[in-house]
Amino acid sequence: MEALAFKDDISGGSAAQTANSLQLIAFSIGEQTYGVEITTVREIRAWNGATPLPNTREFVRGVINLRGTIVPIFDLRARFGEGQTSPTKNHVVVVMSVGEKWVGILVDAVSDILTVAKEDIHHVPEGNSIDTELLNGIVTHDSRMVGLIDLHAVVSGAKMDG
Amino acid sequence: MSDLDDFKATYFDECSELLLELEEQFAAIEEGDRSSDRLNAVFRAIHSIKGGGGAFGFQALVAFAHAYETLLDHVRDGRVELSDSVAVLCIRANDIVADFVAAAKDGTALEAGYGDHEKQQFDALTSGDPDMAGEPLEEFDIDFVPVMVNIAGAEDDPSEFAEPLDIAIIDDAFEAPPLLPEMGAWTIRFTPHSELYARANDPLLLFRELATLGETNVRAIIDEVPPLNDFEPFGVYCSWEITLRSETASEAAIAEVFEFVEGNCDLEIVRGAAPVVEEEALDAEIEAMPSFAEFAAEPAIAEEELELAPVLSFAELADSMKPVLKAAPPVMPTPLKQAAAEHHEFEGENDRRSGVEDRRNGVQSIRVDLDKIDRVVNMVGELVITQSMLTQQMDETLRARYQELVRGLEVLAQTTRGLQDSVMSIRAQPVKTVFSRMPRLVRELATKTGKKIRLETIGENTEIDKTIIEQLSDPLTHMIRNSADHGIESPEKRLAAGKTEGGAIRLSAEQAGGNILIAVEDDGGGINRERVLQVARDRGVVGPEQTLSDDQIDQLIFAPGFSTAEAISDISGRGVGMDVVLSNIKKIGGSVHVKSWPGKGTRMTLRLPLTLAVLDVMLVKVAGSPYVIPLSSIVETIQCARAKFSRMPTGGQVLQVRGEYVQVVDLASRFAMTTDVERDNRFVVLCEAEGGVKVALIVDDIIGQQQVVIKSLEENFQSIEGIAGGTILGDGNVALIVDVQGLKSSQTSHHKSAA
Repeated sequence: MEALAFKDDISGGSAAQTANSLQLIAFSIGEQTYGVEITTVREIRAWNGATPLPNTREFVRGVINLRGTIVPIFDLRARFGEGQTSPTKNHVVVVMSVGEKWVGILVDAVSDILTVAKEDIHHVPEGNSIDTELLNGIVTHDSRMVGLIDLHAVVSGAKMDG
Repeated sequence: MSDLDDFKATYFDECSELLLELEEQFAAIEEGDRSSDRLNAVFRAIHSIKGGGGAFGFQALVAFAHAYETLLDHVRDGRVELSDSVAVLCIRANDIVADFVAAAKDGTALEAGYGDHEKQQFDALTSGDPDMAGEPLEEFDIDFVPVMVNIAGAEDDPSEFAEPLDIAIIDDAFEAPPLLPEMGAWTIRFTPHSELYARANDPLLLFRELATLGETNVRAIIDEVPPLNDFEPFGVYCSWEITLRSETASEAAIAEVFEFVEGNCDLEIVRGAAPVVEEEALDAEIEAMPSFAEFAAEPAIAEEELELAPVLSFAELADSMKPVLKAAPPVMPTPLKQAAAEHHEFEGENDRRSGVEDRRNGVQSIRVDLDKIDRVVNMVGELVITQSMLTQQMDETLRARYQELVRGLEVLAQTTRGLQDSVMSIRAQPVKTVFSRMPRLVRELATKTGKKIRLETIGENTEIDKTIIEQLSDPLTHMIRNSADHGIESPEKRLAAGKTEGGAIRLSAEQAGGNILIAVEDDGGGINRERVLQVARDRGVVGPEQTLSDDQIDQLIFAPGFSTAEAISDISGRGVGMDVVLSNIKKIGGSVHVKSWPGKGTRMTLRLPLTLAVLDVMLVKVAGSPYVIPLSSIVETIQCARAKFSRMPTGGQVLQVRGEYVQVVDLASRFAMTTDVERDNRFVVLCEAEGGVKVALIVDDIIGQQQVVIKSLEENFQSIEGIAGGTILGDGNVALIVDVQGLKSSQTSHHKSAA
């Protein structure tokens, strides 16, 4: 229940930077760092279990109760095809808005808030289809690679085929 | 502009209520109730529709309503007898008024001359009266020019107020032309009540309007104006006497001017001018009164007195003022009334108004945005969940230690349940609101088909959630159309079959447990099963080798695109009717069933949930996850160890229960989850889906019953097969609601695709 509401914090301070830079919430899955634009993040909460949904793909971990509304949780590791996460209390759910909908993403940990310049965002090199499908771009921060998550792509295709 | 739109929306809301009331009243009148209360209610309704319509400039509506109102007025005071034919004409007129209102609402134009035929009939009926017949309807072209009335100023200097209108005030009354009794002259006594001002009416505008009819002479009667220290800021002390000279003005035309303030004033219209002698006497009396200046000076004196003699009591103070009050002559000089040659008092109007007020006092209501109520409903839902969560947290040790807390929780539980019931009852509405639209439909259908059809309604006070009511209108319309078109036979056929010439459709509503049953029954020929089956086979809805029970054949009429009508008529036959019924009813969580007796009739029953917001459920566990099954669909629960299962050749299982074989759905395997609970320790939940088809669900454990608030999965995710939605349990976890109907139908579709 230790939810951090980020939305209010970011509305003021970064106004000057928004023109040609982006603020990201960075989180980790294993050794790899990914980021989402901070304005899409609604809150960050500890993993507290989810009710599994039948007939959905393995990366849909189920649904949780977020103050009276039902929010689906996506396992980002499973979405990348690296097998389901075995979540503990230390795992983190990042709740974000995707269009009109609110979704949660299960990650290992939230690491940082990054400010990156827009011109530093690189294209995702052609190759693995999952990478190009799920990432919007790549930025370098402290000589680490940070993949920008395409939330719409992550959320799509949740139902079982057939 | 948006303000005006708001007013318009309110007006149309009111119109629909008034139209419903019209239906109701005429239903009683048709039954033979000719009491004046009914007629007054009808008159009120039409009058209100007309009045509002005038304010918004709906000319066609107003013109028709006016003619109708004239007829009603004649009926009311007995000049026209309320015969059956007049009643029929009135009912037709109600329908036309409804059409005009609908057209005004949608901004569409009705065909030119719509309703003219009826209007002529009204005129023919009312033409016995020279006063009203053929009287041109005045344009409702009222400019709402805001006028600032400075009451204090008017008191100090009445001429300032009077100037634009040429009102002769007491002092210069003698300058007015001599008033001689003559034809074409009217005396109007106008005594506004405080409500008139409260509703932002301005007598000045009325007098201006009156001045358009002819030459007016307005006299303010200010005898009632009290000394300034008795002066109430919102008191009404002034009345007027207007002399109107006009060769053309009729009494009705004058009354029309005061139409919008009627009920908020005493109005007396007398033919002939007020006698001069009377006038002079009155003036003389008035002259004897102290002037305004004196009135104004009075409090100052009183104050001085108070200062000089602080012992002066209020009684004494009052005494000192009495002479002033006594000097005031009676407001309404009686000789005037006697002198009236032809005199018409608007007592009827006042009666009507008090009738309205009585009604309002009886049931007071406010209009509330449905969204606001929904918010309350949702919050109460959360409260119920929190309350049950608290109760669950109380274990035995806590219970023993904190008895006060336990008692408090019990009270909380009671209060929340009460609160929930009250909130639900706010949303509940009698089905009357939809039922009362049906008589008109039946009348139209009877006319179109040339059949004689009587509609009976039963249980129209049964209450059901408003959102469900709103969804009911279309299905009921289709069902009644179907009954009128396919069910009830032509008079000749009926007579040949030994039935009465006229058919009957019965519309009934009743509550059965957590459901509302709404039935449409007719005493027609019943479903022609042979033909239905033939058409179904022709269209491939039913396979050639499939055999169906009578009941199954009856349900075929709900299949999409299904119609047995030989010719597509205006009314039905396109085959879109009954599947619309089914899909609409399904959408609101209900079910439809049809039962037919050949040659005797058909009954279609809608089973609807009482409310959409809260669901009574059974909480079960499947593979460690909580699921809930709507209690309304559960027939019974059986331990697996005691249940009799049989294996079908295809490998599917069936359950033998009470001599029936029922399809088995193992929820764990259906939901692709693994469970380690042994088969014998699991449970069978026997559920009944639509049309009485049963399905046996196998679950791991049964936990208990509770009430839940339905939450949408689609809001943040998407719909999932076999799951009707989600809900939040007392411990804050999400449980999924099992869609019994969905499970059953998806199962059959699997079979179909396999075959």
